[in-house]
Amino acid sequence: MGTDTVLRAESIVKNYPGVQALKSVDFDLLRGEVHALVGQNGAGKTTLVEIIAGSVPLDSGTIYVEGVKCDFLDPARSIELGIQTVHQENQLVEDITVAENILLYDLPRTSYRLFSLRSCIRAADQLLQQLGIDVKPGARVSSLTFVEKKLISIAKAFSRQAKILILDEPTASLDSNGKQALFSLIRRYSALGLSTIYISHHLNEIFEISDSVTVFKDGVRVSTRRTAETDVNTVIPEMIGRSSQSLYVRDKTARQTLAERSLLEVVDFHREGTVDHVSFSIRAGEIFGIAGLVGAGRTELAQLIFGVDQRESGSLLLDGKEITPRTPFDAVDKGIGFLTEDRKDSGLVLIQPVYENITLVRLVKEIKARIRSFLNPTRERSAAETVVKQLDIKTPTVLQKVINLSGGNQQKVVLGKWLFAGSQIIIFDEPTVGVDVGSKSEIYRLIESLANDGKFIIIISSDNPELVAVCDRIGVMRTGRLCAELEGNQITEENIVNHSLGLASAGKEEST
Amino acid sequence: MKLPLRRVEGKELELNLSLLLFITILVVATAAWIVNPRFMRIGNLINILQQISVLGIVACGVGMLLISGQIDISVGNQVSLMGIVMALIIERGGRIPPDAANAWMIQWSIPFAVIVTFVLGAVLGTVTGLVVIKSRAHSFIVTLALGSVYRGLALLISRGGSFTLHGRFTLLGRTRIMGFLPVSIIFLAFVVLLTTVLLKYTRYGRFLYSIGGNRKAAYVSGIKTTAVTMRGFITVGLLNALAALILISRVGTALAGTADAYSLDALAAVVVGGVAITGGKGTALSLFLGVLLIGIVGNALVVMNVNPHLRGILIGLIIIGSVTFSGLSEHKSRT
Repeated sequence: MGTDTVLRAESIVKNYPGVQALKSVDFDLLRGEVHALVGQNGAGKTTLVEIIAGSVPLDSGTIYVEGVKCDFLDPARSIELGIQTVHQENQLVEDITVAENILLYDLPRTSYRLFSLRSCIRAADQLLQQLGIDVKPGARVSSLTFVEKKLISIAKAFSRQAKILILDEPTASLDSNGKQALFSLIRRYSALGLSTIYISHHLNEIFEISDSVTVFKDGVRVSTRRTAETDVNTVIPEMIGRSSQSLYVRDKTARQTLAERSLLEVVDFHREGTVDHVSFSIRAGEIFGIAGLVGAGRTELAQLIFGVDQRESGSLLLDGKEITPRTPFDAVDKGIGFLTEDRKDSGLVLIQPVYENITLVRLVKEIKARIRSFLNPTRERSAAETVVKQLDIKTPTVLQKVINLSGGNQQKVVLGKWLFAGSQIIIFDEPTVGVDVGSKSEIYRLIESLANDGKFIIIISSDNPELVAVCDRIGVMRTGRLCAELEGNQITEENIVNHSLGLASAGKEEST
Repeated sequence: MKLPLRRVEGKELELNLSLLLFITILVVATAAWIVNPRFMRIGNLINILQQISVLGIVACGVGMLLISGQIDISVGNQVSLMGIVMALIIERGGRIPPDAANAWMIQWSIPFAVIVTFVLGAVLGTVTGLVVIKSRAHSFIVTLALGSVYRGLALLISRGGSFTLHGRFTLLGRTRIMGFLPVSIIFLAFVVLLTTVLLKYTRYGRFLYSIGGNRKAAYVSGIKTTAVTMRGFITVGLLNALAALILISRVGTALAGTADAYSLDALAAVVVGGVAITGGKGTALSLFLGVLLIGIVGNALVVMNVNPHLRGILIGLIIIGSVTFSGLSEHKSRT
């Protein structure tokens, strides 16, 4: 393996509103190596590769490609420099041939400048043979298997004189044969001198395929090591770090009286392919966290519970009485609230004023209560003002359009609408994404006071320190299953990470 | 804080569209008045209102629907079809010999036609709504297709010919209360008022805005989005029925394509009236002003003795102007 550096990133800084995604990160990529980036959600690894691929501008820092300083990177420039990204999703054109896809940006032409499928297929065939991919170049992409599509995506990147290949979660939805096919391709082209940046949550894969591992945490590069010189037990503590001082500390004592309280049982929720027979239960006043990697089926579970998606099985029991909602309308009627993970997409009507957003669910609830269908805007506004005061939502008036509020205040408006409707069971999906640090602890305090009022709280979060700080119990989901339940002093970031990655050693037994 | 400023700005801008429409209406009216003083005669003004009553009623339905994010460009064809059916019934009723045993049918043919028209309106609305919901296709395409179906039905029923009322059923279109105020204007006023109340003061109206503003959020908030959409399309069908009655009553004959132009005219009026094509925005007042502006432009051209074929060009320019204004104010209020 050569020792020359293909890509060097120096003191890269990237800020997003409310968070510093990268805090002066250095990164070197050597020729022909497979360099893995690991870290928890939001650690900064994706931001770094986005900057390298030119899809996100950096705030400060310098990038050198083969020793040449690049002042400006956009996707086109980055591709010109030989940097190719293979995304998690399939980005091939389904209705044309494999060969055309591979050579899409540089289609061979005849002497009359016409497109020639025959020479296209010939060129693609050569490349595929070189890479050892056993796919017919004349086949339509839509007829390929998922693995074949993945391999073709990589071959396509290769056709454009790639020097650096960025693979983002390449093994997502691949079975073990698919993985082996992918790995043998990576090994083959590495031998040809191509460098790879490999992002994955799956540490076992990383130890199988990579030459170096760089660990990220909270926008900082923690370490870079040769893979051969390190192991899982070194990497995981680095990913978690010394427990970052959480701004919020919750007093979890004094919850002795829980046993007599009402019980909410989530029984056997199942939907093929996303959620795999999940059951758990919570007492009123308890905060139950659901941890797991992105794609573990957590949001899907919440959507099943709330009736957004159709389930194959599952029931919700409150003190033994069935309250399973069939639709969101039904869920609202039964006192369930759902703060979705993307408040702009499905939580708020951004172009409507604060008060209309706050009263919306209550209006829905009044249908069943047979309250006359006329509105009283004055009363609505004063009611909304009470909610605004109670949750300390910072807005000049309740007539302000929600779009003009900050992320934290928008989130409080979503919470306000469920509280105003009198929800007893509240599901928070990623409650503090895009929320600044100050509002975060305010939201935690609100959640805690809701629990103290005897509501049932379920929090889905990828922010493990958040779960550790706030929850009484935490269920960890992996590939659709609830694979562990942690409570008391089992609640540590390390346990959560181990279970989400399927590396659980101590504690509960399980097979993969 | 910067926020209060924005609020003030937002309110001003919202007012401005209505204000702008109002000013434009005044300008057009003044111009017409200067060229031909007859324009400002009360008789002519009432004429204008009578002329826009059909468009206004259709546009109110289309406007409410568009606020919820759905478009219906089959409205003109619906009105034509209902006009044909209604005129057919009244014409047949008029042909029954008055001495026959079934003479009562002459008397009852008109109420029967009115009822059939409203039932047909509800049916057409239901069909449109169902197809939009079940096909999951965009309502623009669905109503484009259904419009073609309705036009075909109207042609089939009329066999390409026309039906005449023979001077019967003039109440809605031609009758004037105390020889002065046309009945159709009262119906227009009633529909505009109804739209105002529905949009501003009912739960249903709020749901229309919420669904148009963010369908997913509305659904997760528990709103039965498909039921509300369904009601929106049925409302359009019923208002179209009313429009068909007024139109045919005024014109006295029904052809298969009598009202087809209303499809795009109503949409134009609604868009000029500030309803965002993406939904979630618009008020009954500005909606009405949009209709009024479009009506006045047509009349003013005639009164000013300008080539009336200019109307299309002018209306096109008005639409572009209004939409540009809305776009600009939107942009401003977001930065």
